[in-house]
Amino acid sequence: MLSIKNLHACVENKQILNGLNLEIKAGEVHAIMGPNGSGKSTLSQVLAGNEAFDVTAGEVTFNGDNLLDLATEERAREGIFLAFQYPVEIPGVSNLQFLRTSVNAMRKHHGIEDMNAAEFMKLAKEVSKQVDLDPAFLKRGVNEGFSGGEKKRNEVMQALLLQPKLAILDETDSGLDIDALKVVADGVNALRASDRAILMITHYQRLLDHIVPDYVHVLSEGKIIRSGGPELALELEAKGYGWLGIEDQAAANHG
Amino acid sequence: MKSASTLSSAFLQPAGQALPAALLTLRFDRASALANLILPTRKTENWKYSAKHLKLTDDMASTLPMNASAETAADNSSYTVVLVNGIVRPESSNYPTLEGLSIQRFSDLSEDDAALAADLLSKSISDQPAKSGSVNLSQLNGARFEDGLLIQLQPGLILSKPLFVIHHTTANHSGSAYPCILVAAGNNSQFTLVEDYVSSGNCSVMVNTTTEFSLGDGANVTSVRLNTEGQTVQHMGTTGVRQQRSSRFESHSVGFGGTLRRHDLHVRLEGEGAECKLNGVVVTQGTQHYDNHTTIEHVAANCNSEETYRNIAADKSHAVFNGRIHIHQDAQKSNANMSNKNLLLTSGAEIDTKPELEIYADDVLCAHGATIGQLDKESIFYLVSRGLSPRDAKVLLTMAFINELVDQIPVEQVRNTAHTGLNRFFDQAFQEV
Repeated sequence: MLSIKNLHACVENKQILNGLNLEIKAGEVHAIMGPNGSGKSTLSQVLAGNEAFDVTAGEVTFNGDNLLDLATEERAREGIFLAFQYPVEIPGVSNLQFLRTSVNAMRKHHGIEDMNAAEFMKLAKEVSKQVDLDPAFLKRGVNEGFSGGEKKRNEVMQALLLQPKLAILDETDSGLDIDALKVVADGVNALRASDRAILMITHYQRLLDHIVPDYVHVLSEGKIIRSGGPELALELEAKGYGWLGIEDQAAANHG
Repeated sequence: MKSASTLSSAFLQPAGQALPAALLTLRFDRASALANLILPTRKTENWKYSAKHLKLTDDMASTLPMNASAETAADNSSYTVVLVNGIVRPESSNYPTLEGLSIQRFSDLSEDDAALAADLLSKSISDQPAKSGSVNLSQLNGARFEDGLLIQLQPGLILSKPLFVIHHTTANHSGSAYPCILVAAGNNSQFTLVEDYVSSGNCSVMVNTTTEFSLGDGANVTSVRLNTEGQTVQHMGTTGVRQQRSSRFESHSVGFGGTLRRHDLHVRLEGEGAECKLNGVVVTQGTQHYDNHTTIEHVAANCNSEETYRNIAADKSHAVFNGRIHIHQDAQKSNANMSNKNLLLTSGAEIDTKPELEIYADDVLCAHGATIGQLDKESIFYLVSRGLSPRDAKVLLTMAFINELVDQIPVEQVRNTAHTGLNRFFDQAFQEV
């Protein structure tokens, strides 16, 4: 489904990704772990098409198409979904209006007629319950005044609503308490399907207790330096990144 | 040194529509007072940004004639009065004969009513002598009106439907029009006046307007002002409001069209417990220039004012907001709130905002805020990453900026017109290449 070859990317002239390779097939769940500053979030932003990041070399194909040639909205309509690490607050735009515009943009792309307001409301209420969000949230501004946990649940809710082919979850576990983590994990597990892939980016192993990945990759200095099964995450948890000869760059910078 | 330009005498010659004696006298006095008026320059405080856009050549001075065949969008389902080039056209108008409601054109006024109209005009805020250092071009209206409307609501009258006044400017040569609307709302009366400024034709014209509201005790008046005039219209309008005890005035202004548009809105809270709410939405594009000057005077104690203006400027357009709040010495326990937020859609657009507070009482609550910003790139990316086109994302974000104000417009027909105008604006401002 997704094939990344020798990907190099930079932001503001700072090289972040240095030849990243990754193959993801439909039905698989991959986890990317790594210390701060290793390039995890850059990878997710590049895949989603954030123009603040420049791809300097390499190629990415998504279901055979050159992903890097597609505009951000085209990637979304083709089925790429990014759950943001820091979802943006947009006061004045209601969640409901935003989500309906989004769903209908996807439908239009696939030649399906618009979902009417009543149908959409019913669906939106269902999925919001799935992630334990009070449907009253739908009437509020996008992420406006949401707690950290509510924002993350709102991201997972959007994934459930949009049913993407590839869901990229950027530190969706960060800032969650145990109960919220469980809700988010249940939501993500509900996304697992044979025709869908999930790429989880996480700093900690604890999410992987709830969402067991098929593959775990360790990212360091913009490259995947080790890949394995779920047991790799446990090993990292026990031994730390130092075991692989990596220094936590943020810690090093601040130390 | 170049001497200052003065107003051409051509601008002080009315066309000679029949009017009651009291109004003719007043108009003559106004014209005499304007002789040798020094025209504003960029050094004139209240015309700093707009003087260079002003076009007062002699060909603009002639009164545009009444055009009997001009088509108007009068809608029979509402109460409507049509003015063409500032002159009432009775055959296009439609309003009820209700006890307690009187809508009369100037030429039909009895001696008593003409005296009332002259009194309202002579106390008119727009006809007050200008502050030193500023120039009040709305005084032209007092020197030039050919016709107008006197709307009187007897105490307690409640008008259930809004009254639409359609101001249609149309011409096949340059010239100007001077519509004048006077409203005397008796104690505890209620009504909504919608002024819709439209134009047809491609000649360079000026519309110089006066709208004057006098609100009795407990009166509740809403004024909606919509500008959708064409690109060749210079619009200079003044709205004056005097409010007595416990009255409430609400203003909603939405502006799109015109090359130069200037609106001065001046509210005096003269009776205790009066309150006003002033909302304004301005969108500009191309090379449009739009200047809103507002003044709220808290004269009496215990009054509330709330003002919210939003400007959105695209292309090389220019929007100006000058909001002044003046709290007089006796106006204790005044509560005044002013917010002006501005959105620049391009690097070529310009917005200037100046809140002014002048406070002479010591026990008041006064807040003001002004911001100028751009659409947030992170927000656009977030929306686009959910499949929205960049245009739709920008429209959502821009609407978020003004939605609240558009939703508050109490007349559905005007909200619809506003949405139509905004969509046209977005189509041009957010063209996808």
